[in-house]
Amino acid sequence: MSAIVLENISKFFGAAAAVDNVNLQVETGEFVTLLGPSGCGKTTTLRMVAGLEQNSTGRISIGGEVVSDAAQGFFIPPERRHLGMVFQSYAIWPHMTVFDNVAYPLRIRRKSAQEIKERVATALKLVEMERFADRPAPALSGGQQQRVAIARALVFEPRVLLLDEPLSNLDARLRTQTGDEFRQLQKRLGITSLYVTHDQGEAMALSDRVVVMSMGKILQVGAPEDIYQRPHSRDVAAFFGSPNFIEAEVKACRSDTGGTFVLELDGGWKGPCHSSHEIKPGNKAAVMVRPENMRLVSGGQGPSATGMAWKGIVKESIYRGAHRSVMLDTPAGNLNIDLTALENPAVGANVDVFAAENSAWAVPV
Amino acid sequence: MTDNTAGAMTRNQPIAMPAPLQSLAQRLFSGRNVLVVSLVAILSFLAVYPLAMLLYGSLHSTPPGMAGEFNLNGYKSILNWSNTLVLLNTVAISLGKTIPSLTLAVLLAWIIARTDTPWRDKLEVLITLPFFIPPILTAMAWGMLGNPQVGLLNQVWKWATGATVSPINVYSYGGIIWHMMQYSTPFLFLFIVDIFRAMDPALEESSRMCGASRWRTFRLITLMLMLPALTNSFILSLIRGIESFESPLFFGTPAKIEVITTEIYNSINHRATPDYQYATALSFAIMVMMFLLVIWQWWLLKGRTFTTVTGKGYAPNIMKLGRWKWVTFSFCILFFVITVVLPVGQLLIGSFFKFFGFYSYDMLTTEHYVAVFNNAEVWRAIGNTMLLGLLGATAVMILGSIVAYVSVRTKWRGRRLIDGLAWLPWMMPGMVLGIGFLWAFAMLPGPIPIYGTIWALMLAYIALGTPISVRVMNSAYAQLSYDLEECSRVHGATFMQTMWRILIALAWPSFAVGWVLAFFGIMRELSASILLYSVGSEVLSVVLLRLWANGLAEQVSVIGLMMMLLVILFRWVQLKLIKSRISTL
Ligand SMILES: Nc1ncnc2c1ncn2[C@@H]1O[C@H](COP(=O)(O)OP(=O)(O)O)[C@@H](O)[C@H]1O
Ligand SMILES: [Mg+2]
Repeated sequence: MSAIVLENISKFFGAAAAVDNVNLQVETGEFVTLLGPSGCGKTTTLRMVAGLEQNSTGRISIGGEVVSDAAQGFFIPPERRHLGMVFQSYAIWPHMTVFDNVAYPLRIRRKSAQEIKERVATALKLVEMERFADRPAPALSGGQQQRVAIARALVFEPRVLLLDEPLSNLDARLRTQTGDEFRQLQKRLGITSLYVTHDQGEAMALSDRVVVMSMGKILQVGAPEDIYQRPHSRDVAAFFGSPNFIEAEVKACRSDTGGTFVLELDGGWKGPCHSSHEIKPGNKAAVMVRPENMRLVSGGQGPSATGMAWKGIVKESIYRGAHRSVMLDTPAGNLNIDLTALENPAVGANVDVFAAENSAWAVPV
Repeated sequence: MTDNTAGAMTRNQPIAMPAPLQSLAQRLFSGRNVLVVSLVAILSFLAVYPLAMLLYGSLHSTPPGMAGEFNLNGYKSILNWSNTLVLLNTVAISLGKTIPSLTLAVLLAWIIARTDTPWRDKLEVLITLPFFIPPILTAMAWGMLGNPQVGLLNQVWKWATGATVSPINVYSYGGIIWHMMQYSTPFLFLFIVDIFRAMDPALEESSRMCGASRWRTFRLITLMLMLPALTNSFILSLIRGIESFESPLFFGTPAKIEVITTEIYNSINHRATPDYQYATALSFAIMVMMFLLVIWQWWLLKGRTFTTVTGKGYAPNIMKLGRWKWVTFSFCILFFVITVVLPVGQLLIGSFFKFFGFYSYDMLTTEHYVAVFNNAEVWRAIGNTMLLGLLGATAVMILGSIVAYVSVRTKWRGRRLIDGLAWLPWMMPGMVLGIGFLWAFAMLPGPIPIYGTIWALMLAYIALGTPISVRVMNSAYAQLSYDLEECSRVHGATFMQTMWRILIALAWPSFAVGWVLAFFGIMRELSASILLYSVGSEVLSVVLLRLWANGLAEQVSVIGLMMMLLVILFRWVQLKLIKSRISTL
């Protein structure tokens, strides 16, 4: 049974669709991330699941139970959906102590004082905040408030945890650490999580599946590796980093195992390339190669593995500490490649560049 | 080498002076110190000096400017049973109006900021309008509307129901409180509506996600988060109620209900021989009481102000009311009708009938308009009020801009003192400040003939207006980035040039909004004016009161309408300015 099911969900603000016909299933215990640029409708989608916004069309079910059905005019308000939520601003109530904040959902549910005490202690221990129980909430740092917000959302054992950019107000170092800790906690508790972020790295590192959104629509749903390495479209590919796209003509196309296709391409070089789309011979395709998957091969020595190779001239070389970005001028156009920080081809040098067959992926133009 | 250095030094020091002494002189006479010292001097003259004179006068046996002796008779005479009653009356009336006003203001603010009631932005303008109408106008209008014998409301009621007893009598506790509420509700509304608006919606949404219903969220989260601000508003409104003069003067005195301000006024104006020592001692006592209230307020709020404001420009939670939105809409309209339409309508009707209370076709006349236009005293009062309003508002705003600048944008020594001095008149009732100034002018060394001129009024208005102008300019400066200013100074502008060019240029909409507020303040001021005016320096509010006392309610209506036109015009200009740039008041 799926924990969350969205069927044909849309949300209109006036005439504009903030969310446009979204379909999604989240399985029990799964960690699913909505990812997309700012304003693409992630928060609105999450808030419709929460019940903080009413969907204009479609049906939402949680744990097999319909919570909102626009066609029937049926809507369960947020307080009766039994979901935990962590807000971007944490929304820790400043007029209460940490303990009172976390105890609030239990008090609302009229639990006994003893039970409240025990469960709050457990929740605070989970996020390592037990020492701060008596602190007034305004006396907490951002990271601490974030932990309290998670404890508050977990303490009443909700069916699903919803998180809206919970890490975006933390500084970079804390963000990675807190994210990893949260992922461990989520796995340990096995709690279904729907997470919103605009940060690709965060989405990759935390999620079981990533939902890439743009302008209110879902572009692709898949495991982080699929989304990154096997995108369905140029838009999805371009959303992560700045990949190279090399135009080529399709000479042949046949299906492969696993629902993908193998294309024979000609783009100044010839070779096979995989794609999720069937592209008819005679059409154009764009071959995506990520900069970190290209390398330089020393003069003339042909690579042993199959793949694509070009000759080029180094136009620009930028040292970035962890690696070096180099821009090459090749017959296939400008190519960006990431080298190790130790390599240092001179600007103007003639080089050979190579990309292995399994690092390339074709998308429709 | 040595010669060169010496030469250079002589060129730099045309006046031979030992170096340490010279730097001392430089420090003392630097522009900054001159500015700080003059500000302290001006503000002290406006606030500390009258306060000190109040203490002096309360211990002095004769009226201001006459030889006498020092004794405690003033304090002895105020300590009696009837004054205890007056004090209880004052506090009870003020509490009696603060509690319903605050409730009403929270309700109205919630409707405007948090529901989908139609035309909320326009309703907001209408709801806040009564705050800008001089209280003396509505007091007179309500005196006509709710007069137990001939009041329009009573007449309509009797005509509609056939009853013979008037249901309404404004000359009562209820009347005083009713009139005060018309001012404190929009005043409190202005404070509260922005808090409702600026609150991070996630604070409430997270409560709902935790399982709390809308109503529980409102009680446990929204109201609790607003509690510090509500406490603050409560005490502020309580103080305002204690200071209030018009409502008890119009509706209390005829019914023998006295409060502190009317008691002070009566002891000077309505006794065979004015008892200055008594009035002054009472004034000083009320100042002590205000001071205690302010300390109480400070103690209640200590460490309890939360930042609930969202950083993002998020829309607050708007509740969809469905069909109920027409109920809330009508409620706001009803408030506007009662507080503005009824009194203004009464003025309009009153101005066209021969005698107020006798409304029949053959009583229609324009003779009151003619009478007012031929009344030289009225024209002189209009002239005085305009002059005082224009000059006074400008002076208040200039002083306020400089004080606010020094206290929030510099790190100069003495800035806290300046801020504190400018704030002091905030808790001084106009009546008390008036008495303080009476003594202050009389005690001025040598023949500085301020008393009896319009400059006496001007000084009192500046003192009363400064705390508000400082506040308005504080918030204006707070919105300007420091970079602008530093950039200008780095590029070679001096302090004054910077202040003028950048700050005035950028902060002028706030300046203008504050100016209009100050102008309103001056136009409506009655309690200090009534003590400080003399023949030739009357202002409109004083003339209105005098005409009213002579039973010329119809002419009062004519003048009242003219003032209303001015209020609406200025408020309109002010709203245009606010819309174009800023968000204070
Ligand atoms: N309450 C609202 N009223 C009108 N438009 C809104 C409202 N909330 C969101 N939108 C619009 O809907 C779109 C999606 O917003 P949102 O879901 O917040 O995006 P994201 O979280 O992906 O940045 C944006 O264009 C935004 O301006
Ligand atoms: Mg968002």
